[in-house]
Amino acid sequence: MKTLINIENGKKVKILKISGGKGIRQHLQCLGIHIGDVVTLKKSSFLGGPVLLEINGYDIALGKGIASKIEVEEIE
Amino acid sequence: MKIAFIGQPNAGKSTIFNGLAGYKTVTANFPGQTVHYTVSNVTVGEETFEIVDLPGIYSLTAIDKAELESRKFILSGKADVVINVIDASTLSRSLELTIQLAELQVPMVICLNMIDEAKRKGLEINLKKLSEVFDVPVIETIANKGIGLSKIFTSAKEAFYKNKIPKIQHFHKDIEEKIEEIEKIIPSKLLPNIPRRYIAIKLLEGDAELFEDLRDYKELILKINEIRDEIKSSHGRHADTVISSERHALTMNIFEEVTKVGEPIKSAREKLDDLLTNRFLGYPLLFSILFGIFFLVFEVGKLLEEPLVHIFDSLIKRLPEYISENTLTFYIIKGLLEGFAGGLGVAIPYLIPFFIGLTILEDVGYLPRMAFLMDTIMHRIGLHGKSVLPFIISYGCNVPGVMATRILESPRDRFITAALSVFIPCAARTTVIFGLVGAFIGGIAAAGLYILNLLVIMTMGAILTRFIPEITPGLIMEIPPLRIPTLKNVFMKTWLRLKDFTVVAWPLLVLSSIILSFLEFLNLDSVLNQIFKPLVSWILGLPEQTGITLIFGILRKELSMIMLFQALDTTNIGQLMTKTQIIVFTIFTIFYLPCIGTLGVLIREIGIKKAMLVTILTITVAVFLSVLSRLILETVF
Repeated sequence: MKTLINIENGKKVKILKISGGKGIRQHLQCLGIHIGDVVTLKKSSFLGGPVLLEINGYDIALGKGIASKIEVEEIE
Repeated sequence: MKIAFIGQPNAGKSTIFNGLAGYKTVTANFPGQTVHYTVSNVTVGEETFEIVDLPGIYSLTAIDKAELESRKFILSGKADVVINVIDASTLSRSLELTIQLAELQVPMVICLNMIDEAKRKGLEINLKKLSEVFDVPVIETIANKGIGLSKIFTSAKEAFYKNKIPKIQHFHKDIEEKIEEIEKIIPSKLLPNIPRRYIAIKLLEGDAELFEDLRDYKELILKINEIRDEIKSSHGRHADTVISSERHALTMNIFEEVTKVGEPIKSAREKLDDLLTNRFLGYPLLFSILFGIFFLVFEVGKLLEEPLVHIFDSLIKRLPEYISENTLTFYIIKGLLEGFAGGLGVAIPYLIPFFIGLTILEDVGYLPRMAFLMDTIMHRIGLHGKSVLPFIISYGCNVPGVMATRILESPRDRFITAALSVFIPCAARTTVIFGLVGAFIGGIAAAGLYILNLLVIMTMGAILTRFIPEITPGLIMEIPPLRIPTLKNVFMKTWLRLKDFTVVAWPLLVLSSIILSFLEFLNLDSVLNQIFKPLVSWILGLPEQTGITLIFGILRKELSMIMLFQALDTTNIGQLMTKTQIIVFTIFTIFYLPCIGTLGVLIREIGIKKAMLVTILTITVAVFLSVLSRLILETVF
C-alpha cells in the first residue's frame, strides 16, 4: 500500500485511509484532510523531512511520521 | 454589546481587531499567533462595543491549549454576537467551523476576509446565497488594507437586534436520529446554557472534556458509547470520523452552492514560495536571511549607538564641574544619567532594527516555512518543526517565546521547547553580546557566541529528550500564503514591542542604576561583591566588582552590561577587563537564570516545580560553560 511518503512531487492522490490514533485523526480532520479527499503533493519527503500538500487551495505540512500513516492512491 | 471574533488560525481576526480598536495585539502571518484573548472597548456613535479577539480555532474540537481558551470563552456564553472571521481563500475548510458555531445558537455575522486573495485563487463567492444558507449577515473585508471594516459594527448590530441566530445544518437522517437520542438523555444540569444539540454531537465525537464532565453519570457514558459503537458498525468507521465526514460533506455542498471556481492567477509569489522551501536552496537561503538580519542589526545598531553613547559619556565626565563629587546628589544624578544612557544608547539602537526584521519575517509568512525546513533537524533533538516558532520569537524576547509554546500539542513538547527557549539570547542579551563582545573583541567573536549557544541548545534538547522519551505526533501545520507586509503594520508592531521596553524595562534600568549608585555612595556595593566573590572571582575569574552587576541582570539582562559600565566606572571595558574576562562574563550572562519576566511566564506556562528545575538547569549550564571557556581561553591567550 502506498502512503504519502512514497509519492513523487506534483502527483495528485486520493486519500484512502488514515491510520493512527484519534488525536491525529481529529487533528487532520480539523485541517480539512478527510478520507476521499484529493490532494496534490507539492513537496515530497526528502531525507526524512516533511511533505507539503495542497488541498482545496491551501498548503499543509505533515511530518514524515504522520505522512507515513496516510494511505493514498495515485489518480490521473 | 459584547462581540467575539472567532475564526480559524491566520484568518485575520487580530488584524480586524487592531483595525477597529487601534493597535493592541500583535499579528503575524502564521497560524496560532494569538495565544490569549484581548478585550477592547470601541465607541461608535452613541454605542459602546466590547470586542474580544480570540485565538484561532480550526474546529470546536480543541487540539492545543490556545484553542481550548477560545472554546472555553465561546461556551461561557459571554458573547452577544459572534463574528465568524473566515479567510475567504480557504472557504471550503473554514465553513466546517461555521457549521459548528451555528450549533451554539448565538447571533452571528460571517465576515469573509482576504477576499482579494480568494479572487487570486479564482474563487467567486456569492454573498447573498451564503447569507441565505445560514440566515445571517455576510460581509466582505480586506482587513490589512482596512477595506470593509466599517461594516462590522452595523452588521453586528443587525445580527443582535434582529436576533439573527444561524440556521442549523442537518446531517443525514440516521445520524440525526442518534443525535436526538443523545439529546434526550443529557442531564439538564450539564452546561445548562449550551444547546443540547451541540453537546450531543460533541459526545458522539468522543470529546474528552465533556466526558470528564459526565464522569458521575456512569450509565449515561455506557449508553453513549453504545450509540457510538452502533454508528461504527453501521458505517464501518469511528463515530468521530463519521461526524467529521458528514460535516465535510455538508461544507462541500454549501461551498459548491455559493462559489464559482475559476482559474487561479499564477504569480511570482508561487515561484518564490517554491524557492524558499526548496530542498537544496531552502537552507542556504534560510541561513543568509537570518545572518543578514543579524548583520544588519549589528551594523545599524552600531551606527546609532556610538554617537548616542558619546553624548552621554561626555556629559557624565563633565558632571563634577556642576555638582561637587562625593555628595549624594552627585551619585543619584550620575546613576540616573547612566541608566538613561544605557537604555537610549545601548538597547534601543539594537532593538529597533531587530524588531523590524522580526516583524517583516513574521508578516511575510517566512516563519512557518522555516518550521517546514527545520523539521528534520528538530527531530534530532526530539521535537518537531513547529518548535522553531517559539525559538525564533525568543530571539526577540523570551516572554512571548515561552508563551508561543502553546501552539504545540503535547505537554512534553511544550515543556522541552519552553525549557530550551529560555536559553535563547533575547534582544536584551543580544545587546550584551554586541555591546561587550561585539564592541571590544569583534563581530566574528559575537557570531561565535551565537553558534555556541545553538550547539548548547541542541545538546540540551538531545539530553532532555533522553529523559522524557515519547513519540510525538509530529508536524501538522498549515503553511499560509506569502504576503507582502504593509508598512503601517511593520511600524505599529515595532512600536508596540518597543513600547514594552520603554515603559517597563527602561524605568527599571534607570531605577537600578540609581540604586547601584546609591549603594556605591554608602559603600555597600563592596559588601555585596564580597559575598559573591567566591563565585565571581575564584570560579569565573572576573573582577570582583562584577558580582553586583550579575545580580541586577536578573531584573533585565542588559542591566548587567549597563551596571558593568557603572561598576567599573568606564564605558571602555577593554582597558579594565581582559578578552577572556569579557567572554566569560558574556557567556555567564547569556546562560544564567532567565530574567524575572521570563521566570514569571515560565511558572504560568509549565508550573512552579518545572520552572524551578529549568532555573537550576540554567545556573548549572552557565557555571559549567563559563568555567570551561575560561580554562580554554586562558590556555589559548
